[in-house]
Amino acid sequence: MEQIGNMIGWETVKMVIGLIGVLAFVVFNALILTWAERKVAGHMQRRIGPKEVGPYGLIQPIADALKLLGKEILTPRDVDKPLYCLAPMIIFVPVLVSFVVIPFSSSLLVMDINVGILVILAFSSLSVFSILMAGWGSNNKYALIGAIRSIAQNIAYEIPLLLSLLPIIMMTNSFSLKTIAEAQSGLWFIFYQPVAFLIYFIAGVAETNRTPFDLPEAESELVAGYHTEYSGMRFALFFLAEYTNIFIVSAIAVTFFLGGYQGPFLPGIVWFLLKSYFLVFVIMWLRWTFPRVRFDQLLNISWKALIPLSFINLLVTGGLLKL
Amino acid sequence: MVERIKTELGAALEGISIAEVNYRERGYHLSLEVAAGALLKVARFFDERGFYLSAIICVDYKEYLELVYIFSNHTSLCKVKVSLKIDPAKPVAPTISTIFDCAYWHEREIREFYGVLFDGHPNMTYLFLHDGIDSYPMRREKVPVSDEDKRALGSSRPGEGEDTFFVNLGPQHPSTHGVLRVVLKMDGEYVEEAEPVLGYLHRMHEKMAENRSYQQFLPNTARMDYLGPMAFNLGYVTAVERLCGIGVPDRANYVRVILTELNRLSSHLMWLGAYLADLGALTPFLFVFDDREQINDILEPVTGSRLTYCYFRFGGLYNDVDETFITGTKAFIARMRSRFVLYDKLVSGNVIFTNRTRGIGVISKERARKQAVSGPVLRGAGIAMDIRKMEPCAAYGELDFEIPVGTRGDALDMYHVRVREMENAVKIIEQALARLPEGPFMTEKVPKKLKPPKGDLYHTVETPRGELGIYIVSDESDKPYRMKWRVPSFSNLMIFPELAKGNMLADAVAILGSLDLVIPEIDR
Amino acid sequence: MEKEIFPVKFAVVEKVLDLARANSLWPMTFGLACCAIEMMSTAMSRFDLDRFGAGAFRATPRQADLMIVTGTVTKKMAPVLTTLYEQMPSPKWVIAMGNCAISGGPFVFEGQYNIIEGVDLLVPVDVYVPGCPPRPEALLEGFLKLEEKITGTRRFPGPENRW
Repeated sequence: MEQIGNMIGWETVKMVIGLIGVLAFVVFNALILTWAERKVAGHMQRRIGPKEVGPYGLIQPIADALKLLGKEILTPRDVDKPLYCLAPMIIFVPVLVSFVVIPFSSSLLVMDINVGILVILAFSSLSVFSILMAGWGSNNKYALIGAIRSIAQNIAYEIPLLLSLLPIIMMTNSFSLKTIAEAQSGLWFIFYQPVAFLIYFIAGVAETNRTPFDLPEAESELVAGYHTEYSGMRFALFFLAEYTNIFIVSAIAVTFFLGGYQGPFLPGIVWFLLKSYFLVFVIMWLRWTFPRVRFDQLLNISWKALIPLSFINLLVTGGLLKL
Repeated sequence: MVERIKTELGAALEGISIAEVNYRERGYHLSLEVAAGALLKVARFFDERGFYLSAIICVDYKEYLELVYIFSNHTSLCKVKVSLKIDPAKPVAPTISTIFDCAYWHEREIREFYGVLFDGHPNMTYLFLHDGIDSYPMRREKVPVSDEDKRALGSSRPGEGEDTFFVNLGPQHPSTHGVLRVVLKMDGEYVEEAEPVLGYLHRMHEKMAENRSYQQFLPNTARMDYLGPMAFNLGYVTAVERLCGIGVPDRANYVRVILTELNRLSSHLMWLGAYLADLGALTPFLFVFDDREQINDILEPVTGSRLTYCYFRFGGLYNDVDETFITGTKAFIARMRSRFVLYDKLVSGNVIFTNRTRGIGVISKERARKQAVSGPVLRGAGIAMDIRKMEPCAAYGELDFEIPVGTRGDALDMYHVRVREMENAVKIIEQALARLPEGPFMTEKVPKKLKPPKGDLYHTVETPRGELGIYIVSDESDKPYRMKWRVPSFSNLMIFPELAKGNMLADAVAILGSLDLVIPEIDR
Repeated sequence: MEKEIFPVKFAVVEKVLDLARANSLWPMTFGLACCAIEMMSTAMSRFDLDRFGAGAFRATPRQADLMIVTGTVTKKMAPVLTTLYEQMPSPKWVIAMGNCAISGGPFVFEGQYNIIEGVDLLVPVDVYVPGCPPRPEALLEGFLKLEEKITGTRRFPGPENRW
C-alpha cells in the first residue's frame, strides 16, 4: 500500500477511493430514497406502502432495480440517437461532481476545493442540457413541451438559489463548503438568515422538479414529461439522478444553514445524514400535500417574488456586515 | 306559463297544430307538428323566450323518420315537444345549430346513426363511429351507407398551421377521465382550438334497448354512468312506471331517495378526488376513496354490488332495507360531517388550489342556456335550476333542501357548488331516515311482462352530473320501440371548446375536470 | 408474455430476475370503463396494491410492464390498444379484467356493430379476471396468479391448499 501510495501519489489514491465511495453512496442513497418515497406516500395516504417484498418492504428497491436492468433496451424508431442515448448519461455528471465537494464529516471529504459552492452551482446548470437533449431527442411532443418547461423553470430558479446563498458566503468570506460548515460551531446560520433559508429551500425544490413545481412531469397533462420515451435502465438513470439531486439540495441546505456535520455526542457523519434526510422527508411531505402550481404562476413566483426578496436580503446583510 | 306560451305560439305562427297533452303521462305540456320550412321560426320563437334545447331525438317509424325537439325552461316548468316528419328515402332537415349551439353535436349524432343530412350544418362528420362503417346503425332496417356519404362522413382531418402544432390529450389518460380524446391545436403553451373526439366507448346501449325487454335493460342503466348508477336506475324505473301507470309505496320512495343521495355523495367525492389529482394533489384522492368504501359498506348488503347497482325494480325495490342499514347510515352521516371539515381545511383554503381555479373557465348565463348545460355546471354559472325541485320524483317533493348557486361561473364556483351539494345530500338523507315509513317495499300486481300503452314519454331526473332525459316510445309490445338517453355530460362537454380557447394547457385540463364528465354516458 | 430466447440458460440469474419482475410489476394506467374504478379501488388504501410492489402506476407505456385492460374495447379503441401494447418493452404481461375484456361481456347481442368480443383477439392475455366488475379481492387474486405464472411459486396459500 505504501509503495503504491508513493508511486502514484497519495492524493490520487485518496481521490480514487473517495470517488468509489461517492458512487457507492449514490446508489445506496437512491435505493433508500425510492423505498422511503413509497413508504412515506403510503403512510400519508392511510395505507402501508410496500410490505411483502422483504421485511418492511426493504428489498423492494432492489427488486425494482433488477427489473429495470432486465428490461428490453428499446430505442424508438425516429429518435435522434446520439442525443437520446447520451442524455441519461450526461445527467449524472453534475450529481457526481457535487458530491466531491460536500463535507460528510470533518474528515470525510473527497476534495476541499476553495470554490466549492461555485463548482456545484456551475455544474448543476449543466443538467439543463441533459433535459433538453432528452426532450428534443425523443421525437415526441409531450417530451418536448416538458423539456421546455423544465428549462425555463431551471433557469428561473437558479438565480434565487445563488442569491440566497450569497449572504452566507459574505458572512464567512469563503466559497468552500468545509469552511462554511466549520464556521457554524457557534450558532447555526439559519438563525441569522431565516429568509435566505426559505428562499433557498423553495428554489431547491423547484430545481429538482418536485411538486408543487413538477409541471415538467405533470402526469395528468403531459403523460410523463421529458422522460416519456425512456424505458428500462435509461429511465432508471433519470430516476436515480432525480433522487440524488434531492439529496444534494438537502445536503447543501444542511451545510449552509443547519450546521453541516456539527453536533454533540454523535459522530459528524451521523448528524449530517440525520439532518439531510430530515430535509428530504420535508420535500417528500410537500409532494403529497400540495397541488401543482401552474406554469406562468411558477415563473411569476420566481421572477416577481423570490428574486426581489433575495436581493433585499442580500443588501440588508451587506449593510449589517459593514456596520 | 304554459297557457301564455300556447296563446303566444298560436298568435305568432299560423298553420301549426298545437296540442296540449297530459303532462303526467307524457312528460311535456305542448306538442307541435311543424313542417321543415317553419322549424327555424319555431326555434327562434323559443330562443327569444328563454327556452333551452333539451334534446333532439330521431325515431325511425318505417314510413317516415320523425325528429323530435324538446324545449325546456330554466325558470318555470314548461316543456314543449316539436316534431318534424321527414322522408326516409332522402332524409334532409334544416339545422338549428345557428340558433341553439347545443344542436351542433346532436345533429352530428343523428347524421351518423340515421343518415339525416342537416342543411347548413358546418361539420357533418363522424362523431361516435369509426370510419367506414357499412350501414346506419340505428335504422330499423339495414340501410347501407353510400360511398359518397362515407367520404363525407370520414373527411375530418386537422390541418397544421405555421406556428401551431397538434397535441392529443388521450385517449389513454393518466388521469381518470376515461377514454376521451381531445385534439388540441396549440400555439406554444396556449390552446387555440380544442376538438373532442368521442366514440371510444360506444357500447350501443340504445340499440340494445330496442332488442331487450324493459326488465332486461335494467343492468344496462348502471353501466352508462358508473359513478352515479343509482340516479340512472331511478330515472329509468320512474320513467317506465310513469308510462305504465304503476304506483310505488311510500317506503320504497324514501329508500330510493336515500340511496340516490348516497350515490350523489359518492359521485361528488370521486369528482373531488379526481379533480385534485388532475391538479397535482394526489393525497385527497385516497381520502376520498376511503369515504367511498364506507358508502359501499352500507350499500353492498342492501343492493348486492359495489359499483353497478341494479336495485330499483318497477313498482318498488328488489328487497327491503333492515336495521343495519339504518344504523349504518346514521353513523356514516355523523362521520361524514367531520370529514367535510377535514376536506375544507385541506382544500378550500389552499392558496395554490384557489389560484389554479379562480377565474378559469367562466361560463356566462347566456352561454349556459344556449349550450344546454345542466347540473352543478349550470348552478355554478348562476342559474338556480334543480330538477329535484322542479319535477320531483320519488320522495323529493316532501323533503327540504336548498339549491346552491355560484356567482362567477368559474371552476372555483363549481367546486363550491358541489361541496354544498354534498352537504345538502347529507341533510336530505337525515330527513328521509327520520321520516322513513313502514310498509311494503313493492307494489303487488306488477305484471311479469310489462306492456306499456302506445305513446311516448320524456322523463327527466337530476343525476350528480345534471339533467338526465329519457325518451321512450312504446308500441305496446314488451320491448321499447325507441329509447333515447339525453345524458348531461354530452351537453356539458359541448361547452368545453369555447372555454378552452385562449387558455394554457394546464388551465384546459382544470376546466375539463370542473365539468365532471363521465365518458361512458356520453358514448352510451 | 414475450421473452427473448437465448441459446444458453443461466438458471439462477433467470430465477432471480423472475422474482424481481414479479415483485415489481408496474401497471400502466389504462382504464377504459367501469372496471377502471374497481382497479383504482384496488390501488387505494383499503386493498392497497402497493404492498406487492405494484403501486407505481406509470402513465407512459415505455416504463410500464403490465397492462390491465379494464373495460370494453370498441373498434375505435382497438388500434390504440395495440399501439400501446407494442410500445411497451418486453417482458410485458396483460391482465384482462372484467367480463368485457374477456369476451365482450354484457354487450354482446345479435347485431352488435362496435365492440371487440374479448381483448385476447388483439393481444396475448396472461390472466383473466372475471366479474362485472370484479371485486378488488378478485383483482388481487389475479395479481397473485400472475406472480405465480412468472415465478412458479405462489405467494400466499390459495383456498384450495389451505389445509
